[in-house]
Amino acid sequence: MTRITTAMNPTQVLDTLRRADGYFITNTARDMSQSDYKNRILLHTDLLAAPSRDAAGYFSLEITGGASIHVDILRKQVDPFLKLKLLREQMPDTLFQTLCRGVNLFGYRPYPQNVIRLTVREFAKYVDVWRTFDFMNHVPNMQAVFEEVAKAGKINEPSICFSTGPEHTDQFYVDKVKEIMAVTGEEIILCIKNHGGLGTPKRIGDLVDAIKQAYPELIIHYHGHNTDGNDIGRITAAVLNGATIVDASDHAFNGFYGPPPILSVIQTLKDYGKTAIDINEEAVIETSETIHDQRPYYEQFEAQIKGFLPTVQIHKLPGGAMGSSLEQAAKGGFLNKMPDILHHELPRVQKELGNWWSVTPGSQILWTTAVSNVLDGERYGNPSGDLKNLLLGKYGPFPFYSPADWIYEKVFGPDWKDILEKEGGILEIEDMDIDQERRTLTERLGREPTEQQLVTFLQHPNDAVEFFKFEEKFGKSYVLPPSIFLRRGGFALGETLVFQDYTGKEHLIEIGPEQQDKKGETTIYLNVDHHQQIFVFEPEQQAGTNVKPSLSKEEIADLAKAGDIRAGFSGNVCEISVEAGQDVAVGDRVAILEAMKMQTPVVSEVAGKVAKISVKVGQALQPGDKILKIDVDGE
Amino acid sequence: MKTKILVANRGEIAIRIIRAIQELKFEAVAIYETPDHESRHIRIANEAVWIGDGPRSDYLNIDRVIKAAKRVGATAIHPGYGFLAENPAFAKACEEADIIFIGPPSEVVEKLGNKVTARRIMAEAGIPMVPGTSNLPAGDAGLEEARAFARRYGYPLMLKATAGGGGRGIRRIENETELHEQYSIARAEALAAFNDDSVYIEKVVINPKHVEVQILADASGKTVHLGTRDCSIQRRNQKLVEIAPAFHLSPELAEEICQTAIKAGKAADYFNAGTVEFLLDSDNNYYFMEINTRLQVEHTVTEMITGIDIVRTQIKLALGKKLLFNQDDVKLRGHAIEMRINAEDPQNNFMPEGGKTLSIYQSPGGYGVRLDGFCYQGFTVPEVYDSLLVKLTVFGWSWNETVQRLKRCLDNFVIAGPKTTIPFYKNLVQEPDFQNGEFDTSYLDTHQQLFEYREQKSEVSKLARLIAEIHHKKQNIYAA
Repeated sequence: MTRITTAMNPTQVLDTLRRADGYFITNTARDMSQSDYKNRILLHTDLLAAPSRDAAGYFSLEITGGASIHVDILRKQVDPFLKLKLLREQMPDTLFQTLCRGVNLFGYRPYPQNVIRLTVREFAKYVDVWRTFDFMNHVPNMQAVFEEVAKAGKINEPSICFSTGPEHTDQFYVDKVKEIMAVTGEEIILCIKNHGGLGTPKRIGDLVDAIKQAYPELIIHYHGHNTDGNDIGRITAAVLNGATIVDASDHAFNGFYGPPPILSVIQTLKDYGKTAIDINEEAVIETSETIHDQRPYYEQFEAQIKGFLPTVQIHKLPGGAMGSSLEQAAKGGFLNKMPDILHHELPRVQKELGNWWSVTPGSQILWTTAVSNVLDGERYGNPSGDLKNLLLGKYGPFPFYSPADWIYEKVFGPDWKDILEKEGGILEIEDMDIDQERRTLTERLGREPTEQQLVTFLQHPNDAVEFFKFEEKFGKSYVLPPSIFLRRGGFALGETLVFQDYTGKEHLIEIGPEQQDKKGETTIYLNVDHHQQIFVFEPEQQAGTNVKPSLSKEEIADLAKAGDIRAGFSGNVCEISVEAGQDVAVGDRVAILEAMKMQTPVVSEVAGKVAKISVKVGQALQPGDKILKIDVDGE
Repeated sequence: MKTKILVANRGEIAIRIIRAIQELKFEAVAIYETPDHESRHIRIANEAVWIGDGPRSDYLNIDRVIKAAKRVGATAIHPGYGFLAENPAFAKACEEADIIFIGPPSEVVEKLGNKVTARRIMAEAGIPMVPGTSNLPAGDAGLEEARAFARRYGYPLMLKATAGGGGRGIRRIENETELHEQYSIARAEALAAFNDDSVYIEKVVINPKHVEVQILADASGKTVHLGTRDCSIQRRNQKLVEIAPAFHLSPELAEEICQTAIKAGKAADYFNAGTVEFLLDSDNNYYFMEINTRLQVEHTVTEMITGIDIVRTQIKLALGKKLLFNQDDVKLRGHAIEMRINAEDPQNNFMPEGGKTLSIYQSPGGYGVRLDGFCYQGFTVPEVYDSLLVKLTVFGWSWNETVQRLKRCLDNFVIAGPKTTIPFYKNLVQEPDFQNGEFDTSYLDTHQQLFEYREQKSEVSKLARLIAEIHHKKQNIYAA
């Protein structure tokens, strides 16, 4: 039997999978990075792992998609296309896999159809297997992606998002598979997307069996998370019942919320007489040996709560959102409210809103609503725009049941029926004028962008431009290892940093002294390839005029009580809910901040009149930045 | 007892002289003021004498220097450059104290130090001069003489203090109105600054080159030249970069200028090492400017192209030896460039950066490279003296080779602490006019881009910028 490689066409790949006596493994490196390290695993580390990962004989390497494209440009400062190109050079054989959120692509809200198609076309140049899902399992939301993937001659892997509860029957999912195949045809891989790592091994085994009974020729790919520590059980049950591909990841970096260790999967299934086809166990081990010493540099990105969370079966947060949710709780100062949010409010909201699938962007709607319900003390009192859209059916029909009338009334007021009548229904987004966008980007860059830069820009306009400017100023920094790029606390005097630039030229930088003059201007001396270079930094802005040096949480809270509302965490302004001169009451929402996927309402703690709004929608804020000022009544 | 020679100077030139003394198997005696107590010249001398707290006043104190020489039993004193080097009273005091002054006799120092006397001697010897007046009489008579001169030669003019020097006491006069305004002010200032209100006028040679000739003369009057130097690259009339031999000079013109220099030396009864300075205009007219009766900062470039140790020769001549070589034996080969690496901020009008500590000092080396300095890592540059840290002199057989060697050396020179002239020189060596040897005294004024340090555009420089930010902010704010 020949190994599945990039040299095969989709038909050959699917035939090989169908004839397989055993199972294949997808190395889900992207989901591990996202679930356990907030997506921060650098290309540098993936390149170190590349040769042994390529030799390991995986069905595929999931290395892009999900939130990773946004984080690539926002935090890792790497071009998401260049990343794939460079990895492909080091990994000629292994199929590359992505995770695509259907109409939401790699972002958090629906994109116009022409943007979806252009994006898929560009990424399909590098991506062989397209795992596509929709958080409502609404098949039309995935159709444009399916079509473009097929046109590009790549493999479609439609997903059924999985969850638990009385509605989530085998029959429901078998019908969903039928609905998908009616659109895609049978030349697909079907993914059971268990993003929360929900259900027992038995439940997963039953589901795989039910689908296999209905569609014996269908290739099933089981994707899970190890949040409760039991995903190997589910993987085992899936394979024993006929799944052909399963997800796991390199043990050197295994955490708690991502996929389980590859090697443990192999060892477990071996005892059941199931062979991991084409897998070179030595290469699997070598990968972890190669990258193991990189792990400490990523510790700063691990979740605030460490350890398995079997309670995921209650709150159902997807593994990929655990890290960012806990980070938001820590930054927002409500980590202590987590038990209440996770174990009571979140499952309650989930049931109230229809018990659909807690995965991007639905998981953010559930989370934001639950957090807001607990922190504001008034349930559904501060509905986000996304919640409103969801209730209006903009993202798709409710699969099982609609939320109760009282929720609609709470969110939309007494006229909710009229509003639902008028505005309800699936969101229709007009095509974008892509040429106009290209001109806009040309203007902002000062030069003609490449098609790939345009696509990156269409995903996240502001962050893409910031990234392009970063690259102009700081070069291609993906060459820097995490020991440099993610260094905390500065370098030691005399420390030497050795790296190769993107052309392969080796460089040596020695850290020289740092001196501050009387004006507070700092001069840093670096010995760059034996040539001295001097870098001068202006003094940090002084407190008083512009309170820039981050305020403590207590200070921000104190200012809020005086009507001076500041950002409590770093994020973008996605809504300003009031206008200057408007009267506000205690508890009124004045703005919404968004960090990564999370929308967090900003609520007034005072009654008064909005005096001054300091921000614009879309503006990026750091903790302590001014949002707006309210003149407190009676003062 | 060994012959002792006292070095009446500090900094790099003291070390340069001490080296020559020790190579002659004599003993070198250093003197120092308190702010120089960490200076390296003290460490390498055989003996060092503290002469006072200064600053500068004790290096300038003839009495103390002579006393120090007497106390250690020094046979001779080398004055270096600056301080007492061109003070005829000091040369005379040495003579009276029966100490050999390594330089010309006091009367030669005196007559060449007085610009008007020097001009008279040179005019009588038929040396070409910038047209000028002798000392102008005080009051309206002087002003009238100046106006008459201006009518004949035109503006601009230079109004110069007779007792001035080193770029001080000079003002440029553009028209008659300015002449009226400036004349009496210049006299008053000269009186205040030099205790002598004599002034005279010279025609301005527009954008000349500064070309000078090193001469050596023994007691018998035998005088040889060591070729030309070009010192046109200056800021505020202070030299920054010196080149030997002067570039773009026809062999005939170079020879003529050198022979004129010898004639000038002979006319002044010159003895020991001296430098005859000329201005060269764009039509290749050259004019005598002055004779410096001392070792020059830039003597190193001449040593590099002739192989003659000028300081060693100075000492031997002073001790009564004859010149052992003839003019024909002096061969000029290749090119040498010296750059004065000063603790100064070129972008801030060359403001001195004294008082700062050299936290890194790494110097280049290799073929054709010479360093004359006195600094070391950990050394704090005194604020009270000049800002010269080290002279970088390179030699190469061709001009291009020399420039590229210089560039290599500058790239490898690391000084952290004070700002230095190095980044400015890095721009200079890449500037096309400099690379073509095209420069005159207006060079800095016409090449302001040298003061804009090239934003480092190389990939590694960009990454270094990021690393500097990560270091400074204690984290990568772009990845946080």
